[in-house]
Amino acid sequence: MNRTTTLQHEADVAAPAAGRRSPMRRLLDSRGFVAVRSFAIFIGLWYLMMLWANPLQLPSPFRVVDALAGLAASGELFRHALLTTSRLAIALVVATALAVPLGFLMGLNRKADALIDPVVELLRPISGIAWIPLGIFIFGVGDTLPVFIMMYVAFFPLLLNTVSGVRHVDQRLVAAARTMGVSRWAMLRQVIVPAALPTMMVGFRLAFAGAWAAVIAAELIGAPSGLGFAIEWYRQLLMSPKVFGFIVMIGIVGYLCDLGLRALQRWLTPWAEGTGLA
Amino acid sequence: MTTTTGSTASANGSRWNAVLYATLLPAILVLAWQAWAMTLPADTRAPSPARAVAAFVNLVASGELILATAQSLGRVLAGFAFALLAGVGLGVLMGSSRRIRDNLDPIVESFRPIAPMAILPIAILWFGTGTAASLSIVTYAAFFPMLLNTIHGVSRVDRKLVLAAMTMGVPRLRILTKVVVPGALPGVLLGSRLAMGVAWTAIIAAELAVGAKTGAGGTSGGIGQMMFVFFAYSIDLNGIVVCMIVVGVVALLIDRLFRVAEYWLMPWRQ
Repeated sequence: MNRTTTLQHEADVAAPAAGRRSPMRRLLDSRGFVAVRSFAIFIGLWYLMMLWANPLQLPSPFRVVDALAGLAASGELFRHALLTTSRLAIALVVATALAVPLGFLMGLNRKADALIDPVVELLRPISGIAWIPLGIFIFGVGDTLPVFIMMYVAFFPLLLNTVSGVRHVDQRLVAAARTMGVSRWAMLRQVIVPAALPTMMVGFRLAFAGAWAAVIAAELIGAPSGLGFAIEWYRQLLMSPKVFGFIVMIGIVGYLCDLGLRALQRWLTPWAEGTGLA
Repeated sequence: MTTTTGSTASANGSRWNAVLYATLLPAILVLAWQAWAMTLPADTRAPSPARAVAAFVNLVASGELILATAQSLGRVLAGFAFALLAGVGLGVLMGSSRRIRDNLDPIVESFRPIAPMAILPIAILWFGTGTAASLSIVTYAAFFPMLLNTIHGVSRVDRKLVLAAMTMGVPRLRILTKVVVPGALPGVLLGSRLAMGVAWTAIIAAELAVGAKTGAGGTSGGIGQMMFVFFAYSIDLNGIVVCMIVVGVVALLIDRLFRVAEYWLMPWRQ
């Protein structure tokens, strides 16, 4: 995001002395320090609220850290996190395997698009979460339900971004390749896939974000394990520090996955840098 | 209609073709589903299109479906209103002041990957199992798209307009309300549309899970709760299918409504 367009920029321009700051001042203004300070204030506020609140409803931050350490030491934390992320990985792989070929078909063939698109548009507004009750009847409580829900949620952004990526390939590139007598297969591999990949990667990240929100709901209602199950399980036992600990873990895992996907995006599509798609 | 001119006839023909194409696959799928359901024994619980339509008529006639949809929509609107106030207020502050933004960004970014449903156990601990719990989840879910798009909208306000206002000695608060907020309208509206979509998904999840986890079906109402009752008590899969379709239709209507609003409020963007 372009920060120079913010209002504060005008204030910076008005104070040209900002460039000559002492090392101490620079440390205090550094991003890392500001983040630590914000967190310290946040935890301080949490602690103050805790003094006044019911400890069942708001445990002290130190007890949450304690619970997290205990859960990590017993391996329970990583077991649930691993289950959830492996379900996520399976769902994303299956959704990609279904959505990408279909997206290429719909992007390249107008007739196929006219035929399939109405079904997609009819199903898309039904959120994955609304499938949970029916899904429990079809798949039972277990691993399949969260995988199915995530696959369903991830399918649509992947498909739509593949279709749009394939369809908006620069026609000059296609014409140039055709002029040079490139075969159909080489055209697909060398021209269309590289041109569509940045948009597809955006779709992949959207798919991940949607799946991540849906899996917690799916596990909370219809799975005997995983991070979503764990928070609800400890809520029923009224072990609030562990509930908060698992919520922190959900944030950490979600953040790390997004970080990994960004790295994957930069690695797979370095040519998308600076086009607004990166 | 055979007396039309050649060009309109062919246009009509292609239009009919398009309609035929669009309805072909959905119709085949619905028929296949119906045919599959008819091969099952008569006392099956499996849903079929015909029985789903019957269930829909029953639910509408008894008023249950409309009441439940209205309850869910009411919660979504209330949660959305909270998120709008908080998101736009904070978004304008964070978008227009670099210092506020640098200080709050770490907190916002660390809450963002926490899925709304992860907040549910805390919401139940704090607010019980009534409307307040699902309302808080909706607000939380809608807050982030609202906030981030407002920040983005504010940061894209034309600098020259702000500078011009400053040159003319307009006070800072007036610049915010008269220049920055209208300039950020596209971002705010986009954020509203996304937030409303997320909020609608979140309310279904919240009602469903509140019902599922407290076992007290029907205490708070709403379409998610209705699905839970069909699921856990009366085991009516046709009712569940009806609820799913209603969820989809409402989501579609919300999306279209906001797109129309964007069109009317920002005619210069077309």
